[in-house]
Formats: sequence, C-alpha cells, structure tokens
Amino acid sequence: MIQPMLWGVGMSAYGLQPERRVESLCWDAVSGAVRDAGISPGDIDAIVVGSVFGPPGVATRVQRGIGIPGVPMWTVENACASGTSAYHEAVEAVLGGRFGCVLVLGVDQMSTLFSGAIVPEATDPEGASSLPLPGLYALAAQRYVQEFGVTLEQLAAIAVKNKRNGLDNPLAQLRAAAPTVADVLGSRMIAEPLTMLQCCPTSDGAGAVIVGPERGVRDDLRIEASAMVSGALWDHRSSDVWGFASVARAAERAFAQAGRTPAEIDVLEVHDAFTIGEIVTLEALGLAPRGKGAELAPSGHTARDGAQPVNPSGGLLSRGHPLGGTGTAQLAEIAWQLRGRAEARQVARHRVGLVETMGGGAAGMDGNACVVTILSTQDGTERGTP
Amino acid sequence: MATELGVGRPTKRRPGSAVGGLPVAESRPAFDGEGVLGVRCTACRYPVAQRGIPWCPACYAPVVDERFAPTGAAWSSTVVAIPVRTRRPPFGLAYLDLDDGPRVLVHLAEPEVVPIGTRLQIIGSPDGDLVAEVAR
Repeated sequence: MIQPMLWGVGMSAYGLQPERRVESLCWDAVSGAVRDAGISPGDIDAIVVGSVFGPPGVATRVQRGIGIPGVPMWTVENACASGTSAYHEAVEAVLGGRFGCVLVLGVDQMSTLFSGAIVPEATDPEGASSLPLPGLYALAAQRYVQEFGVTLEQLAAIAVKNKRNGLDNPLAQLRAAAPTVADVLGSRMIAEPLTMLQCCPTSDGAGAVIVGPERGVRDDLRIEASAMVSGALWDHRSSDVWGFASVARAAERAFAQAGRTPAEIDVLEVHDAFTIGEIVTLEALGLAPRGKGAELAPSGHTARDGAQPVNPSGGLLSRGHPLGGTGTAQLAEIAWQLRGRAEARQVARHRVGLVETMGGGAAGMDGNACVVTILSTQDGTERGTP
Repeated sequence: MATELGVGRPTKRRPGSAVGGLPVAESRPAFDGEGVLGVRCTACRYPVAQRGIPWCPACYAPVVDERFAPTGAAWSSTVVAIPVRTRRPPFGLAYLDLDDGPRVLVHLAEPEVVPIGTRLQIIGSPDGDLVAEVAR
C-alpha cells in the first residue's frame, strides 16, 4: 500500500495582476513548490492542472518555462474546485502507483476576463436568467436567516474573522485593514443579505503542490484522505440549502477514509467565497449541527486562537478567489500550518488539517464538484516552533 | 484602472447575445401562458423544468412532456443590488417550488424578499425569464 504524501507547496502573490503573464504567476508557484519539496524539476513525472478559464493551452505555456517535457499532463475543470480536483487526481495516481512525483498546478487570472462579479454563463438556465453567484449564495443565506434565525451580525462575523486573519498573509489580496461588524454590514449591498465585504474578490493567482509516495522526509505531510464528488440533483425534494449536500458527501467519504471525526481536526481551510458559504460548509463537515454553524465564528471557536481555527489564511474573503488557484492556495496554507511555519498566522494545535473546496453554478445541481482532503504530520505531533 | 477591465467587451465565458456575445440556444424553462413546460417521469413522477433530456435523472425511467402549474411556494428569495447581464438593480429573484412540480428560478415582479412559503404565481416570461408575483 502506497501512502501518498504532500512533499511541497508554492504560491504566487494573489491579487489583481493584469500586468503579469499568467504563466509567470504559475512559474512563481511551481518554483516555490519544487524548492519546498527539495526536488529537481526533472523528478516530476506527471502534471495535473486545475483551471476554469485557462486560457486554453496555459499548461503547455507554463511547460515552456519549466522544462519537464513529454510527461503525462492534463487540465481539469470543476469550477471553484478545479485546483483541488487536480490535486485529488494526483493523490489517486500516487496511491495507485501510476506516478512517483506529481506536480499539481491551480491557476486563473480573472482580472483579464471580468470587471467585477463573474458574468453568469449564458448556456445555463439560471445564468441566462441573470442569477449571479452572490445571488445564489444570497438565496441560501436568506433561507438561513428565515429558517434558523441566523442574524446579519453572525454572517458579518465570518468576514471580520477571515479578513483579520488575512492581514497577516503577505500573499493575500486584501490586507489594508480589518473591518468591524458594522463596516461589513454597512458596505454596499450585493444581494440581500450579502454585502460587498461578505463576497470574496475575484483575483489572479497560482498555487502548486507536489505529491508523491513516502520518501523519509520529516516535513512531508501524510495525506490521510482525499475525496472528490461531483454534483447531484438539488431540487424541490431537498431540505438542504444549495451546496450543503455535495460538501456533506465529500466529507463523509474523507472522514471514513481517514478514520477520523470532525472534532479531531485542528485547523481548516474551507470555501468561504461568501460568508454564508463558511457557515453551511462547517455544518456539512460536521463541526456544527444544521442551523448552528453561524455560532462558530461569534463564539470564537473558529478564530485563529480558537479550538478549531477556520481559514487562518484569511480564506477566499481575504486571499481573493482565482477559481482554479483557490484549492492549491488552501493546501499551501494547511501545509504551512501543519509544519509550524505559518509565522504570524500560526495556530496553536496543528497536527491534523482539512481542506474543503466546493465549486458550483450549474442550475439544479447541488454543486459542480467538492473535494475534501485531510492531512497530518507524520508522527502525530506538532512540528516546528510556533 | 483594474476595476474597469472587461467593461463593454465579451469575456471568455459565453455571455450570450443579450450582452454582446454570439447567440446561444435557449435553456430557460418555458411558460406558455398556462403553465411551465417540462417533463415528468413515467415511473417516479419526478418533475423537470427542461425538455429534451434522455431519461428521468432520478430513476432513469422514460419521461413524457408535462405542463406544470404556474403556482407554488417560495423556497427563498433575494433582491440583487448589482447589474447582471441586461438586468439593472434592484431586481428580485426567488426559487419557486411549483405545486406538484419542480423548483424553478423566477424573477419577482416587485423586488422584495418574501417569507419562506409565500404563495407565488408566474404571470409571464416577457424576455424569457419566468416572472412571478405574490398570489392574491
């Protein structure tokens, strides 16, 4: 049985960078990951790229600069979960013995495509009806407000927490100042009840991860589980809000594979594209019962110094969301946290970490895909000196 | 100005002819004045607000054309405060669970957040989007 390990991670800066070549963002990420893994580029025997908007051929243009010619390479698209879907394929390939060292690259450069919110896809029935992504999340938020009595202050607390965390992330897009609850609620309305500061900014960025089998390096992280699910019907029969069920499906598989319970997770990076997303996701992951996830941020449970810190990087709300680049950035943060090298962002307990990425937008489905992965230090102890 | 990028020009995503792109085939649920057109499963009665699908996506049995009632209950609603495609804010959106039918996305004639379960009625689809109002 081959044990897949995370060998190294790297990230470009995240932010609006239209003046940079998209390949150049990737080269930052790949060179960082290769250095972090302590390998030679020639050791890489396969490449999996996760990207939504490419551009088509971006993987090969990246190749021109890094010189790993001829190895098997493919690009996957699973909406916001594209980067972690690429990672999942790498983990499966290592697990099955197909490859010995896989480079995962997640990238998107949104600033050259959209001036603000993502333009909905005209071939989708709901996209054609002008449902923007913040509107889709707002419909879930409104349901939580009315069904469970979630307050606007509880929603805002997610943004306050994550944006404060992001101040200490030198690679994050937004790090000017941490807003208060009043600032969040007073920012421009986007789709009721979600205000501007409750929506992640679109971004440009690339993240890379190197996955391989055990090789006797203490800093390598054990990949205890990686689960990827595609979407299922979401319709009038469902009592869950959009997205809940796809995250729950992936989480159930990942926890079973790792043989762990949600309470055993020390630190998490989850898909907070919008504040309500973190609430619904933490319920689907089992950190809180349905309708109670909104209490986790105000109570301090998910704060950086709380019992289970969530999004210590600042999350998508701070880092920015270059779709394909998000999952690999989440993996990078968990790797740094588990190794005790997250500097000002370092959490106290960091033996077991979890990454969740959920992508969606296709009408009538509970998501396009969701990936949940659980990683740990090799000997179950804290690494480094926080 | 980073915030002005992409204004007034198509992006890589197919934007459709409404916003300056090439036309794409109509995918939105159709309203014929009496009800919403779709299909229903001949075995499990699962309703879908789309036509041309190969089988029931819930149980794989054959489907037949169906016209669903234009009335139902609001599952959730929101008021969007940003421009999207040809829509200018504010505009109201709701998921509407049609009576004995599927969940469909509708525009609200009046942009307002309505309580869960509010009875809504589809009154037309002037530009292809289903439009509903609170039933009287």
